[in-house]
Amino acid sequence: MTYTEILYPVLAVISTLVIAFIIGTMIPGLERKYIHARIQQRIGPSVISPGIMAPIKFFFKENVSPNSTVPRLYKSLPIICFIAIFFILLFLIPQTYQMGVFASVISIIGFLKIEEFCYVLMGSLSKSIMSLPMPFPDLVKGAVHLNGERSFIEDVSSSRALRLIAFGSFPFYLSLFVPVSLVGSVYFKDIVDYQLSHGPILFSVPGILGFIVFFIGYMILMNEYPFAILKTKADVIEGPYMEYASKYRGVIYLTRGFLIFTLSTLFSVLFVGLPPNIFSWNILINIAIAFIFTLIMGIVSAFSPVFTNKQFYPAVVATSILGVLAIILSLL
Amino acid sequence: MGLKSYSRGKAIHLMLVYTGGCNGCDIEIVNCVLSPKFDAEQYNVFLTWNPREADVLVVTGPVTKLNKKPLEKIYEAIPNPKAVVAAGSCALMGGVYKNIHGDIPSEEICGPVENVIPVDAKVPGCAVRPQDILAGVVSALPKLLNAD
Amino acid sequence: MSEKNKSNQEKVIETEVALGTVHPAALEPYRLRLFVEDEIINDAEITVGVNHRGIERIMEGLPVEKANSLTEKVCGICSNSHIWNSVLTAEKGLEIDVPPRANYIRVIMEELERLHSHLLYLGHGSEVLAHETFSMRAFSIRETVMELLRMIGGNRVQYGVSIIGGVRPRCDLDGGRLQKISDGLDFIEKKVADFADRFVNDSIVMNRITGVGQISQKDAIRLEVTGPSLRATGVDQDLRKVMKEYQDFDFNVVTLSDGDVKDNILLRVLEIPEAIGIIRQAIKNLPKGSVVNRSWEMFDTDIIHSHIEVPRGTLYHSYKIDRGKVRGSIIRTPSMSNIGAMQLACIGNHITDAQLCIVQCDPCFTCTDRAIEIVDLNKID
Repeated sequence: MTYTEILYPVLAVISTLVIAFIIGTMIPGLERKYIHARIQQRIGPSVISPGIMAPIKFFFKENVSPNSTVPRLYKSLPIICFIAIFFILLFLIPQTYQMGVFASVISIIGFLKIEEFCYVLMGSLSKSIMSLPMPFPDLVKGAVHLNGERSFIEDVSSSRALRLIAFGSFPFYLSLFVPVSLVGSVYFKDIVDYQLSHGPILFSVPGILGFIVFFIGYMILMNEYPFAILKTKADVIEGPYMEYASKYRGVIYLTRGFLIFTLSTLFSVLFVGLPPNIFSWNILINIAIAFIFTLIMGIVSAFSPVFTNKQFYPAVVATSILGVLAIILSLL
Repeated sequence: MGLKSYSRGKAIHLMLVYTGGCNGCDIEIVNCVLSPKFDAEQYNVFLTWNPREADVLVVTGPVTKLNKKPLEKIYEAIPNPKAVVAAGSCALMGGVYKNIHGDIPSEEICGPVENVIPVDAKVPGCAVRPQDILAGVVSALPKLLNAD
Repeated sequence: MSEKNKSNQEKVIETEVALGTVHPAALEPYRLRLFVEDEIINDAEITVGVNHRGIERIMEGLPVEKANSLTEKVCGICSNSHIWNSVLTAEKGLEIDVPPRANYIRVIMEELERLHSHLLYLGHGSEVLAHETFSMRAFSIRETVMELLRMIGGNRVQYGVSIIGGVRPRCDLDGGRLQKISDGLDFIEKKVADFADRFVNDSIVMNRITGVGQISQKDAIRLEVTGPSLRATGVDQDLRKVMKEYQDFDFNVVTLSDGDVKDNILLRVLEIPEAIGIIRQAIKNLPKGSVVNRSWEMFDTDIIHSHIEVPRGTLYHSYKIDRGKVRGSIIRTPSMSNIGAMQLACIGNHITDAQLCIVQCDPCFTCTDRAIEIVDLNKID
């Protein structure tokens, strides 16, 4: 009796995480090969290449020490990010719902804030060769503004990350509160139970608005084009990730696919009422939602340029208004 | 072939450094990545601009004086194992800028890429054809695959 | 630069961001220093000279024929323009008549090169916008032009078509080649119209590029901007209208008025059909006869100048011929005069748009890296 009570949840959690991990590694490849490359009328890379083989390759590379003021902290940041996302997924699994406040929207917001804050640190600690230390005679006779302060391109992306924390991820958090205000509880257990009796929140008016807000917030959180101002190629090249090499870069590659899967699972818990339960066929719906999110995100990112602040602020404001509207509707 | 070699062959990150050629080679290389006709990604070759991510460094141009140090620094920043492909006649032997002159030779050229960093594969041509670039990257692969 | 500094002295400069010399948004090595306040650029400085190879120096004392082929290596994008202008300079000085057929083939090459340069501009501009799909579409259209150029010149980049007195006999256009060119042009015209249609109707992209990197007509004239970047500010200036090589052809000079990234892109799109029209006229009226005039003699000349309109603006070559050798060569490329406009266009924009503002002037810094002699006029007696 007690034996199965402990074993089943542990088995469920571990196998769900493993499946999430496998799907997460497939997602970047699917996006690149079947969405981007198809839109761009070319063959594209093999499916396993960007998601699985690239991280494995990086794990086998030489571990160079990054150009950073605090190399150890800098190196640990992607692992902190990964663990934060790991915990989000852990508390989405139905077997962990008895863990009280951890299995609630509040803890998810906390973990996502950790992940976002890591970008600020990464940006300010990275000192890549590609900007300021590039050996070039900048400060010579005749050059303008010789006595000014000089900063690395990562500092720019660090300040951008700070702004993203302040306002960029606002729509996402608003959309999380649509189901909360509809159900009247922050706990996943209550949200799932409510949807079992009332049907998915997605098929109500606030649910549809919430979905739109959630999706845009999700793209901002993923730093995907068009909201990739944190790591846009045209100025900051790769932004906070510039100095990561070998296994730390591998972790970053893994984190991206894992985050896509985690956030779409969060959506399926909050808006569809289907927690990722390994012992039911509903897990296939979770996976399908992850693929649908990837599909829409791939299409949007293939057809849009990067947004500067001029487009970014209005987009965020409009989405936030929509989110507030959804919350008001759900409270009525 | 172990997992190590297999994964290296399945994800090749290529970085391009231009060191003062005539632009022809640079555009042909960018063309071979961006043009759907050549589409380097179908051979799992991805263009990157970050030396920390790169495996293969493609160098074009005859390495002018101001470009020598940046090239060395970028080469040092790439983690092992790495391979260098010199593309175009300028990168191979200094091109017209080094070898043709009237009364005065050009003093701006630090010589072919070989003088600055070790080169693993050479792709001739003025300018190089996109197909040749892909062939050059592939011919530099054994060094990557068989490394520790 | 100094005038601009004066106007910017009041502006706060928070920090400096340096990009380059290797950067994803630049296809060539150059250094860009941006002086920003809260991610808005208050001043910009472009440093060229990274790829200075001293072409004019190594041309000194070379035989004219060799020097002409060397000018082709100035730039890999507008290589035909350089060799054409260099050859025109020699022909002007040595008073050589070019057969009309050769002239027509040169015009066809130049206009094909304009197509490939403008399509490269569209592809590169879209890539800097981080719009990969448009970039790939532009590059895939460009591939057809490259194949046509390869068919005529034998190489995808450095074609070496013009020689003194005409064009190389191997570049002569027979019926099959002409047919291929006109087929290719039909394809390009259709594809470019499709591309432009999608580009203009994409509200996100248009919103992104409208009003970015604006240069007023007054500034453009003051900074001596040339080429399409000047025409995008509303100045109706195109040397092709006065060049005797183009007098047989009928075409319109496209001008737009805003001078921002949107107008620069649209202007190049609109110039593509004009270039296609010129090639079609050339194919239709291609004169019969020989393609090269070998009966000329070498003699010493004074300094000869030649200006032509190339895809990116006005190109200037000058040298004198002394016992069959080139002396005192000077090359002035269009990007040289556009650097001021690039710096000015950056001011007031977001850092992410900085490279876009530079790309809008269609820079070619490999062309531009010439020896610049700074003369202090006060010290000259």
